[in-house]
Amino acid sequence: MKKSVLYGLLLPGLLFLGIFMVIPIVLTIGSTFYHDGTLTLSGYTHFFGDSYFNQILLTTVVVSLITTLLCLALGFPTAYYISRKTARSKGILLAIAIFPLLTSPIVRSFSWMIILGRKGLINDAIVGLGLSDKPLDILYTPTAIVIGLTHLFLPIMIISLVGVLENIDTDLVIAAQSLGASRMSAFVRIVFPLALPGIVIGAVLVFVGSLTAYTTPALLGGKQRVISTFLYQNAMTLNDWFLASVIAVIMIAITFIVVGLMNRAARQLNPKG
Amino acid sequence: MTLLTLESVSVAYGSQTILKDLNLDVEKGQLLSLLGPSGCGKTTTLRLIAGFLEAKEGTFRFAGDDYTRKPVNKRNFGIVFQSYALFPHMSVFDNVAFGLRMRKTKETDVKSRVKRILEVVSLGGFETRFPKELSGGQRQRVAIARALVIEPDLLLFDEPLSNLDANLRSGMRVEIRRIQQELGITTLYVSHDQEECFSISDRVAVMNKGLIEQIDRPETIFKYPATEFVARFIGFHNFLNFTERAESEGVISLRAGEHLFTAVANPGTTRPGALKGAIRPDDLVVAAEDRSGPGVIGSLPGIVKVSTYLGRSYQYVVETALGNFTANQEMEKPFYSGQSVTLRFPPDKLVLVD
Repeated sequence: MKKSVLYGLLLPGLLFLGIFMVIPIVLTIGSTFYHDGTLTLSGYTHFFGDSYFNQILLTTVVVSLITTLLCLALGFPTAYYISRKTARSKGILLAIAIFPLLTSPIVRSFSWMIILGRKGLINDAIVGLGLSDKPLDILYTPTAIVIGLTHLFLPIMIISLVGVLENIDTDLVIAAQSLGASRMSAFVRIVFPLALPGIVIGAVLVFVGSLTAYTTPALLGGKQRVISTFLYQNAMTLNDWFLASVIAVIMIAITFIVVGLMNRAARQLNPKG
Repeated sequence: MTLLTLESVSVAYGSQTILKDLNLDVEKGQLLSLLGPSGCGKTTTLRLIAGFLEAKEGTFRFAGDDYTRKPVNKRNFGIVFQSYALFPHMSVFDNVAFGLRMRKTKETDVKSRVKRILEVVSLGGFETRFPKELSGGQRQRVAIARALVIEPDLLLFDEPLSNLDANLRSGMRVEIRRIQQELGITTLYVSHDQEECFSISDRVAVMNKGLIEQIDRPETIFKYPATEFVARFIGFHNFLNFTERAESEGVISLRAGEHLFTAVANPGTTRPGALKGAIRPDDLVVAAEDRSGPGVIGSLPGIVKVSTYLGRSYQYVVETALGNFTANQEMEKPFYSGQSVTLRFPPDKLVLVD
């Protein structure tokens, strides 16, 4: 096929993204520097000068980071196991791993409310076993958000990891062992560096997903605001579109910074990756 | 001196038995090949010795110690994989240095030893390249260097040449033999290619269905296969079932129906009681019809069914009262299909197999 024809195939997608994504983002970013008829940075100085806003931002980033690490810790062993199975059982196991993605986040958040609440399963068990004499506050805390988000994003991490792990030849691991490496050492020096591309993709997807998630923190976080629920509140409840735009731009900036940092870390750990 | 001994070893995957009651001895400094078709258990035997899988029953002794349950990383064996298994994220230098670093060798020693071994495999100057940037033959050499640099007690090759093209293969074969003899490392070599095994080995073990059918010097196996399986595997395409045998003065007389044959009795062919004869297509002689009639010892009348030109020679499939025989013969004027011919079985080429 001729090159021009191939470029033509890109056109519909490009047009759609250009009109409905690039232009609105550029306009949003532009609008944050223009307030009351003058060019200004006041939106950002106002935001970063306010300790309440900073606390929301910090909570969001910390919650997202913990969620990412938890997904990685829980997802890696699972993904490694799945990647070592035959094609047939791999398909079945992956389908099971992905299954939670098919249920709505609202339904899942409600289930967590039942499990984590003051009269929920976990607190019943804790009080019943005598581990604490009164129920713990789990629901409507950042912990609840982390639990909900981990549940939500674990399948994505598993899929990303299986993708790279299944391409790591088992002979590499046994070759390393035959050369004197312990299991742990073979993992650290062979499996981990070769899995880095998948770890980075999985981590970026989970982190960005957690950073921008709305339903789960809205339902499980209670009064605890995260940046997306805070954005919604400003835009819809307080009608402060200027501050809402500033928040949106900050979210985009954080996303880019984190993705950039992760890529750089991956390059340093695995120069050929 | 026997370095390595497998004593009645059995291996099973689930309910499937791969090796059954296998016994094997390897002498120090020798190169022993395991030869056989896929699924015969040769790779399983190698992996068992390497420590990648464990025997269900039996013992593996190495230099007098029990290695049956010894972990892979404590065995000090060098392994060259069929896929080479080079670490793709490491340079040639780091690949070769891996084993030394795992042994906490001083970095200055690592440098000099890696440099020296890369010269042994003719790869000096390739230290900073990555596996992706090397040809198949070069990767093979890196894999060998990586296995050699740790000064292994045993070197294991798992079909190391099967991913190379024919030219490189014969070159690498010579190279492997040279390195092995130069360093005097006891080596176990697995392949399904008989030419490869015969050309580099001190001894060859031919395996079938998890058992060793014959273990001997390559020349002996080539001339005197012990069993029908071995004979078939190394190119004896013609078999005869005899009904009677008698032996006197170094000659074995054989009878198949009304046809009589003789075979020279020597250590390789006198398998007592064996009633199956085998002969290579190259050794079977096709002659124009013999007027002396039936009953001439060592000859069998037949009709040419298929005549194929092989370049150097013609190949005939000849139908006889004792079945079809394949014979290769160099000749100027070939026999045609349908022609009556006589097959002659030279007594020194006809061997008896179990």
